[in-house]
Amino acid sequence: MKVKIIEREVLNPLADTEALEVEINPIPEKIGSISLVDNTKPNADVLLDTIRKNLKFKNPINVRKPAGAPGTDEQIKQAQADLSILALGDCGSCTTWLILDAIKLEKQGTPTISVCSDIFAPFARELAESYGAGGLRIVEVEHPLAGQSRESIENKGQKAINQIKSIID
Amino acid sequence: MAKKNTKKKGTEAPQVNENCSCLIDEFIVQNSPDKERLCSIQEADFEVFTDPDAKKVSNKFYIKNQTDGLPIIPPTRSRVDKFLKYSDLKPEEIIAILPPKRGKATMEKVAINAVMAGCLSNFMPVIQHAVKAVSQEKFNLPGINATTHPISICAIINGPVSTELAINSGAGCLGPGNIANATIGRALRLSMINIAGAVPGIGDHATMGSPAKYSFCFAEAESESPWEPLHVERGYKSDVSTVTMMAAEAPQNVNDHRSTKAEDLLGTIIHTAAVAGCNNSHVPGEILIIMGSEHAKTVSDDGWTKDDVKKYIHEKTIVTAELGGRGGRKLDEKWITDGMVKITRSPEDVVLVVAGGPGRHSMVSPGFGTSSESVTLPLTLKDGTAAKSMDDFKNNR
Repeated sequence: MKVKIIEREVLNPLADTEALEVEINPIPEKIGSISLVDNTKPNADVLLDTIRKNLKFKNPINVRKPAGAPGTDEQIKQAQADLSILALGDCGSCTTWLILDAIKLEKQGTPTISVCSDIFAPFARELAESYGAGGLRIVEVEHPLAGQSRESIENKGQKAINQIKSIID
Repeated sequence: MAKKNTKKKGTEAPQVNENCSCLIDEFIVQNSPDKERLCSIQEADFEVFTDPDAKKVSNKFYIKNQTDGLPIIPPTRSRVDKFLKYSDLKPEEIIAILPPKRGKATMEKVAINAVMAGCLSNFMPVIQHAVKAVSQEKFNLPGINATTHPISICAIINGPVSTELAINSGAGCLGPGNIANATIGRALRLSMINIAGAVPGIGDHATMGSPAKYSFCFAEAESESPWEPLHVERGYKSDVSTVTMMAAEAPQNVNDHRSTKAEDLLGTIIHTAAVAGCNNSHVPGEILIIMGSEHAKTVSDDGWTKDDVKKYIHEKTIVTAELGGRGGRKLDEKWITDGMVKITRSPEDVVLVVAGGPGRHSMVSPGFGTSSESVTLPLTLKDGTAAKSMDDFKNNR
């Protein structure tokens, strides 16, 4: 007599994901207005200022939004421009809401560039992909940025500046 | 079973399947002109189903980053089906979409993770509503799941369900020893890992994490409290069962064996709560105070209402702006008064519950600051009716 012992199957605990698609806006050849969105993370202001000076952005719209939480409708509206540069994603929750707010801006027609530290940039891209914005423009600066001198941030910012230049040129 | 001798004088013995030894089969084989045995082409005469080995399955899931590191109960179809009976939703119905991976938290996926966590099937309504609660926008699950901060997700249970499910509100309620406290929080954590994609180091970026991220679930000791319980304070009738989900750090103890006056005892609590390194010190928000019943009695006997206590903790729990301003987000000037920062925005930010057994201890858990608000949901059926028992879910499919 043959007896076959069959082990019951186990079910997969992983979820299916919700598919979304967000169109990424092209950056216009001539950038008339630019917004710099500072999420108040340490040295985000220094980094944005370094970018502004190097790329000679005149009269940018300066916006502050909370790190680790969504920008308010008013802050997002204020950031609408021909191009918005958002900084800084250098931790989990601040990267999350930098990217999600960038996506919100893209949905409203504003092209964006998000600045993240190189440690958190892979997560930023994964997150953008999960929210249907795989093509979101994300540039990197060397981690860490918090607790660093101004000079160090200006040096580290150069890498992001080169990436931004190649995107907008 | 011993091998049968199939040789017959003057004839060549047919080939017999050694694994099959029933006499009838042997007789047929010996007399079969084509020497083929019927049962040799069958895979088996009997099929016996067994549960998979828990250790083997745990290891398989662990390798794939699908556990919290502890062994799991294998989520077989029959086990998951038993859990699904405790919901009035269909298995494929989506409770919430959970970030960062935007996973669809269907009833079935939540049930699979609850089985893995070692829950009992009638815990499902609590877990279902807990998942729904954390997905509310004001809870900020995208931030909570991804943050470098060691924030955990705390479940506070109120109402008759606590008794029905024997959720511990007494001695050791924040520690080991009770299946509901241990596994409801764990089911949520596994759901965050497998449904939301909050895998430590991949989607959950906590610098160090926290022991509270394994499970942080307890019931309020309503009968021991001199004040109205949390769910009543939030507008529900006392006989309605609720789950309150709050982003909270692992609790810090408040040992006060000597105070006989409310103000003295609360003084010990506020000095434990006023810590520079919490999120609330630069982005004020909710704080969880789990007051031991003996402490609560001391305070209440001194004539203090719950509102008095919340107001006092709000007013007096302060840190210097210099220290508070060292956090991740810039400390807004609006929170600073005379160089000091209140770690809560209002008395409502003081989430005060009574729990624990005998002893003169309380617990303090700072929240996630301004970036997350706790959510209380009643355990209701699909039509909005408050469930009187978990069996109501079973009977309303």
